[in-house]
Amino acid sequence: MIMFDRRLLYNFGWSLFFMTLAFVALSLMNLYSASYQTGLVYFKKQLMWVLIGIAAMIVVSFINHKHLKRYSLYIYAASVLLLIFVLVFGKEVSGSKSWINIGSFATIQPSELAKIPVILALARFYDNDYEGVPYGLTDLIKPIILVAIPLALVMMQPDLGTTLTIILISGSMILFMGVRKRSIFFILVVIMGFSYPAWHFFLKPYQKERIKTFIDPSKDPLDSGYNAIQSQIAVGSGKFVGKGFMSGSQTQLRFIPAQQTDFAFSVLAEEWGFVGSLVALLLYFMIILWILDTSSRSKDKFSVLLCFGIAAMFFWHMVVNVGMVIGLLPITGVPLLLLSYGGSSTITAMIGIGIVLGVRMRKFPVPATPFELN
Amino acid sequence: MHDFKNRLVIATIILGIAFLGLASRLWYLQVLKGDEFESFSLDNRIRVERVPAPRGRILDRYGRELVVNRPSFDIYVLPKDVDDVKTLSDRLSVVLKDKPELIEQTIAEGSKKSRFKPVLLAQDINRDQLAYIEARRTSLPGLIIEVSNLRQYPRGVLGSSFLGYIGKVNESELEANPELHNNSLVGKTGIEKAWESSLRGEDGYAQKVTDALGREVESSLFEKDLKSKKSIPGMDVVLTVDADLQQAAEDALGEESGAIVVVNVTNGEVLALASKPSYDPADFVKGIDAKTWTRLLNDKTFPLVNRATQGLYAPGSVFKMVPSAAAMEEGIINPDGKLHCPGYHKLGTHRYRCWKRGGHGWMNMREAIVHSCDVYFYQLGEKMGIDLFSKYMKEFGFGTPTGIGIEERAGVAPSREWKQERFNKPWYRGETIVSAIGQGYVSVTPLQVAMMTAVVANGGNLFKPDLVLKEVEFSGKEHKEKAELKGKVPVRAEYLAIIRDAMTGVVNDPGGTGRRARLPNIKVAGKTGTAQVISLDSQSSSKSHMDHAWFTSFAPSENPEIAVTVLVEHGGKGGSVAAPIAKQILETYFNLKKERESDDNV
Repeated sequence: MIMFDRRLLYNFGWSLFFMTLAFVALSLMNLYSASYQTGLVYFKKQLMWVLIGIAAMIVVSFINHKHLKRYSLYIYAASVLLLIFVLVFGKEVSGSKSWINIGSFATIQPSELAKIPVILALARFYDNDYEGVPYGLTDLIKPIILVAIPLALVMMQPDLGTTLTIILISGSMILFMGVRKRSIFFILVVIMGFSYPAWHFFLKPYQKERIKTFIDPSKDPLDSGYNAIQSQIAVGSGKFVGKGFMSGSQTQLRFIPAQQTDFAFSVLAEEWGFVGSLVALLLYFMIILWILDTSSRSKDKFSVLLCFGIAAMFFWHMVVNVGMVIGLLPITGVPLLLLSYGGSSTITAMIGIGIVLGVRMRKFPVPATPFELN
Repeated sequence: MHDFKNRLVIATIILGIAFLGLASRLWYLQVLKGDEFESFSLDNRIRVERVPAPRGRILDRYGRELVVNRPSFDIYVLPKDVDDVKTLSDRLSVVLKDKPELIEQTIAEGSKKSRFKPVLLAQDINRDQLAYIEARRTSLPGLIIEVSNLRQYPRGVLGSSFLGYIGKVNESELEANPELHNNSLVGKTGIEKAWESSLRGEDGYAQKVTDALGREVESSLFEKDLKSKKSIPGMDVVLTVDADLQQAAEDALGEESGAIVVVNVTNGEVLALASKPSYDPADFVKGIDAKTWTRLLNDKTFPLVNRATQGLYAPGSVFKMVPSAAAMEEGIINPDGKLHCPGYHKLGTHRYRCWKRGGHGWMNMREAIVHSCDVYFYQLGEKMGIDLFSKYMKEFGFGTPTGIGIEERAGVAPSREWKQERFNKPWYRGETIVSAIGQGYVSVTPLQVAMMTAVVANGGNLFKPDLVLKEVEFSGKEHKEKAELKGKVPVRAEYLAIIRDAMTGVVNDPGGTGRRARLPNIKVAGKTGTAQVISLDSQSSSKSHMDHAWFTSFAPSENPEIAVTVLVEHGGKGGSVAAPIAKQILETYFNLKKERESDDNV
């Protein structure tokens, strides 16, 4: 399965690899500061997850994507089973059944782990099915069912953040493969038609509250709007160069909610200011750009779509999470991959990078000189 | 594959736009609005704590403590920092012995007004409660323990009638004094109220760094220069009152209702000001509870009234010094000239009776005062007329407030104009006659009688009575109160000497009405009074219709130092009830003086 071809080392995507390591180092440093007041528990755990993640990334990168394609539907099926398992045996935390205990120490979150299998399944589906023309409504039934099964299971937990990201990732992939304009228009009309009953019958009160709060956070500054306001205060008060490592008052005095997880970026923005946030954001941007670049250099449909899906995953996590932290989007509970604390999301992200690295090193001819690294 | 390339270019453009969008929002928040958010983050973590100024003490003239402070530990809750009201209320109810629902309700009401203002839950908790709460503070976010000062009365109820009490500030007081806050305790009566501005001091403040749960953070990491202002303690008020003499006066009244005033006749300093029954000021220290307050208000013995300055009574015969002085000064009578008392005085068809049915026979001024002959004064009054008489009443300080500083009433020095205005009726001659023996419309406070007595004793000086000797700042700087002469009574010294001599006779002559005030070594001068209580039901023998007993005196008679005025409500005869009390006070005064002098010589 793993082939140690000489080509592999020549074509290894060192840039992506090191950018990823750099960003992970930055996130560990950030988490050190954010969890300093609570005994560094989060930092120590995350350090372990990162090491496991790097190992997973390297191992995955050596898997030939042809094997990946062959087993993608099995991986998808396993993921669905895991999602069913969590609904039955999962641990309920603040109203959501999203976690499975592994021993007494760690928990995994199957919904986070479901993202890559969904991407794999969609890539596999289009690899067989796509004939170069945009999809109409009937053609869309199959891929939508493929997405809808895990999506429904995630919604049942319920996990609003992951539901949203899976919709965004698979939606991006489906749009990328082409959908007829008429069909897009039709789908939009249907969604709008359903949004009114959804608001009145399906959304839970706290979800409505979040949307209302997003529209005007100052309306109720101490309850639902508190997180949004405190996060923006943290970001804004960081000013140009930041308050300094471990010196962010919003962070250290714990005004920032969920500062190790969903709001990790506000810690970074407070302590490192505009300069620091821009550097981090730029690094993230470069990683996504590199993944897209890998996608564009791929020679087969499966690889193109696989890399595009992974790029979409990073992209939407960045937009939704940072958008939430800086008050552009409502609070949805979407982590920033690689920056937020969390074993499942970290490993998911590293596996994603590993897949891209694997695709990248198998696609290019051996360079003329052995030292040219790409 | 070419299609994909184009789509990837579009994806890259979208990525770029998203990046620019996020970056520009960051620029907006961190660079353009940075200062604003910086101040928000400052507001978040800085809490301004009030540092209450300790209220000044109230001391007697020798520096002995009458009113002091003790620390009180108070429990507040800051609604914005409470994460779980239910748990907090449950846990507090265990230690505060209050129903959890009640605590929850108090917090809910407070947070409705403002989530940023602390809500007072319990005042003056005990040591065990404090220890319990202190140990669990970190698990009870939003809880604040503040130290405040509560009044304490080392001598209990002593002097409460003039010291006054304190209570929660009301709306109008808040408006008038912006530096006060909702839970301020301010003086409501007496010295506490009248010297409020000296006693109060100035609150300070201190900025504290707090975390998101409202807990104070030691670290100076987040704020280098925290601002604070020291509180300025209130000034101590040193009274003219001698606590020992005050004690003697209150003891002497015992269970009676009445008042005793002791003043220094040479400067108007009040040495004792007793009023009974009184109240316990300790009931008021945390703000009085409704039940006790209602009880005090409805009490038929009026414990909240300071009888020495607010009680209005007919003076009876102690008033006779005024017509005596007026008649001599105006040349209406020669003090040696005699008038006849047949036991009554006739005006028209009406007979005004002397207290001695058989009459006193022929009497000069001295004899008339010594025996307190009513008919003699009826005649003086009739001859003098109300206009002249009224003028002298006012000269002696009646009908106007004395200016002592605490609550007092002016009383009535009746005149034609007064009656016209008050009742819209003309003055009748008979009214002048009864006024001459301190009955009728005349009404006075015991303090006014004491000041009048001082005028006679010191040869004509009407002083403003002083209760406060000085105010002492925390630094030790003193502000002395000066004796203030309100006026010189326009009566020749020789006439006042005649009255003094007559008053000496009252106590010392055989047959004098005030013999029970005699002291073995010191010559006492005085005048008895028995004021009729006007009642519709004069047949009733119940206590509430008995006469008021008066006795006013000064000593030593040849070189007067102090005046002592005693009033016993419904006590009966002044000579038998009030005079012995005055004697006790005088005795105490001279004993104390001797003790002090011998102490000084050691």
